[in-house]
Order: sequence, then structure tokens, then C-alpha cells
Amino acid sequence: MNPFRAAIAVARKDLVSEWRTREMVPALAQFVVLALLIGNFGFQIDSRNAPSIAPGILWLALVFAGLIAFGRTFAAEREQSSLEAMLMTPASPVAIFAGKAIAASVLLILCEVVMLPALSLFFGTPFSGDLVIAVLLATIGMASLGCLFAAIVARVRARELLLPLLTLPLWIPFIVAGGQAVQSAMGLPGSYDQAIGLLIDFDILFVVLTSLAARFVLDE
Amino acid sequence: MSMVVANGLTHRFGPELALDRVDLVLDTGEHMAVLGDNGAGKTTLLRVLATALRPTSGRLEIAGLDAFRERRRLRHYIGYVAHNPGLYPALSAAENLEFFCDLQDASRSRVAEVLETLGLTSVAHRRASLLSRGMQQRLAIARAILHEPRLLIFDEPDASLDAEAAEVLGLVMKGRTAVIATHDHALANRLCPRTLVLRHGRSLGTATHLRVVR
Repeated sequence: MNPFRAAIAVARKDLVSEWRTREMVPALAQFVVLALLIGNFGFQIDSRNAPSIAPGILWLALVFAGLIAFGRTFAAEREQSSLEAMLMTPASPVAIFAGKAIAASVLLILCEVVMLPALSLFFGTPFSGDLVIAVLLATIGMASLGCLFAAIVARVRARELLLPLLTLPLWIPFIVAGGQAVQSAMGLPGSYDQAIGLLIDFDILFVVLTSLAARFVLDE
Repeated sequence: MSMVVANGLTHRFGPELALDRVDLVLDTGEHMAVLGDNGAGKTTLLRVLATALRPTSGRLEIAGLDAFRERRRLRHYIGYVAHNPGLYPALSAAENLEFFCDLQDASRSRVAEVLETLGLTSVAHRRASLLSRGMQQRLAIARAILHEPRLLIFDEPDASLDAEAAEVLGLVMKGRTAVIATHDHALANRLCPRTLVLRHGRSLGTATHLRVVR
């Protein structure tokens, strides 16, 4: 059984389903734009304080959008009783998990495609490749953790409450390193390279750990 | 040769005993119906036999392999249809099957074949959410035979099927070992020469001819 074929099939299936139903991306995109808009009205933004306020708003919007996106990955499977059918195949649970995480990441990246230009528009901060790289790197690790906890809580009733409680503490390293990288990308003092290095380390660590854990979470 | 050998299968959900020391031997090609009231343990037994659920205690061998140590390998041999079809509503009937071909490592050329067997060719490109409950159930059966399993496990497959579909069930079971949980005694008699009756998780015994056990 080729795990890559299985992972790609799962990711493609999730993305095709989302493309046809358009349940998540339009709502998430509206949510992040509204969050930025509220942040824009809530603070007295000028050219001096925008680079220090905008990263905070960006991470807040991204974290809550991520919770929604990753929370739905396994909840929908449980609701339509399709997870068991998928797990009854010879495909490795790690491949299934990877496919779900890839699809959820792509959905979040689509929101970021809307969010990052909107951030520049509302806050007047520079839109650069460095900013995009920082956000994308954080998305990888956040997706792997978010999907793992989404798989764990999908079988309990209070999953909407439990998912943030379990996920947010472990997302803090990404928010700290990602926040530092975004601030540097916006021209504030701080080492961009060091923050990106940390993000890469966290990505590797959490992708490996969640892949190992996924087998036990999904197998029974 | 025995396809299924179960010894003392017991399963608890918390304090509740769902399956109580069930023994079972099923020969290759044999068809067996599992009867019992609601809550008798039919679904639990079928999920254990399908290796979807690890029993609290007991031993299970399928095709000579330990069902829980060799679980992933055995998934090539087992086709399981749960009570709920578990389809992807936004995908068409054919896309649902193609997706499972990828997960089963089966050739996508099987899709047209099984759609025809189950009488679903005319709705192959219709979204699963737009199919009737009976057609969804047929599609779930189609999914279960994509990889040509040796052992079929059906949990109340007749719940939404019409009389013609019962014929289809007989067709897909042909040449395979099959276990069916059902409330329909007539269907059980028609498709399965052997019957296991469960009550409160305990086997009341098997019979080669169905008699209502009360």
C-alpha cells in the first residue's frame, strides 16, 4: 500500500468536497477580514504603531481561523460516519492523517491569501515574501497539531470547547516565533532568520511527533 | 478450512457487557446470519469480526491470521458495510468508489464493474447526497467489494434495500464467506444456511435452520 497515494487521495477528496460545498473557505475568509477590520477600528493605527499591532491581530485571526478549519477536518468525517470506512481500508492511519492535515493546511493557506493583502490594506504594513514565508511555516506545524487534536476530540461531544483548550497551549511556540518573524518582516528590530529557524525546528518536531501519535489516535 | 475462528470474544463498553464469551467458527464460503433484538450485541460482534473494534478479551483468527496483530494485512481480506453507509455526500457515486480504490490499492477499473453489479451505473455521476437511502446502501456495498474481499460483513444491509437488492446481496456474497446482522428472518433464511442468535451479548447458539428463539 503506497502511503503517498493514500495521503494524496484523502487530501484531494477533502479539497474537492470543499470546492463543491464551499462550506469553509468563504466563511473563514470573511471571518479573517472581519477580524482585521475590527482590529483596525479597535486600535488607533498610524504608520508608527502599525508594525507592532498588526502582527498581533494577524496571529489572533489566524489562530481562530485555524481552530475552525482544523476542527472541521475530523468532525465532518465523524458526522457522516465515513471515518470508520476510511480506517477499515489497508491505508496507514498516518497517511490518512497526513492527507487530512494537507487539505486543512491548503484551506487555511487560502484564507491567508485573503488575509495577508487585507492586513497590508487595513494596517498599511509592508507585504513581503518574508511575511508570507513566516506565515506558511507556522501553518505547517499548526496544521499538524490542530489536526491531531481534532482527531482526538472528534469523538467527544464538547469538541468545540476541548479543541482550543488542547491546541492553543501547543500553538504558543508558533505564535511566539511566527510573531517575531512577522514583526521583523514588517521592519521592527529582531532576527528574522533566527525566528524562521525556530519555526522550521518546531515544524519538524511537531510533524514527526503528530505523525507518530496519529497511528494511535486513529487506529482504534 | 475455517475463515473465522473466534474464542471467548468479550467486549465491554465501560461497565456494560456488550459481548459475552462468544465462540464462533465459520468455514470458507459459509454464510451466517446474526439475529437478535436491539442491543443484543450484533453490531459489536460484527465490528469485532471486521477488526474495527478490539475486544476486551478473547481470540479471533481470520484466514489463519491473528485478527489484531495482523489487522492491517487482514483489511485486504475484509469488506465491511456498517449500518450507516458513511459516504462522502459531495462526491459522486463513482468518485466515492475511486477514492476507496486509492485507499484499498485497488485498480480504478473496478469501479465500473462494481457499479454495474450493484445496478448503479445510471447514477454513477450523481452526487451521493442525491441518491436515495437504498441506493446509498448499495453504494456502500459496492465500496465493500471493490478490493474483492474474501470475508464480507454486513450490518443490517437490508435496512433500506428493496426486494431486488436482496438478490444483489446474494450475488455479492456468492463465493465469499459472509456474516450478516439482520432483523429480517426471511432474508436470513434465504441468504444464510446458518444462523447465530445473540441475546444480551451472549450467543444462544447457532443453527443450520432458523428457528425463532425466544
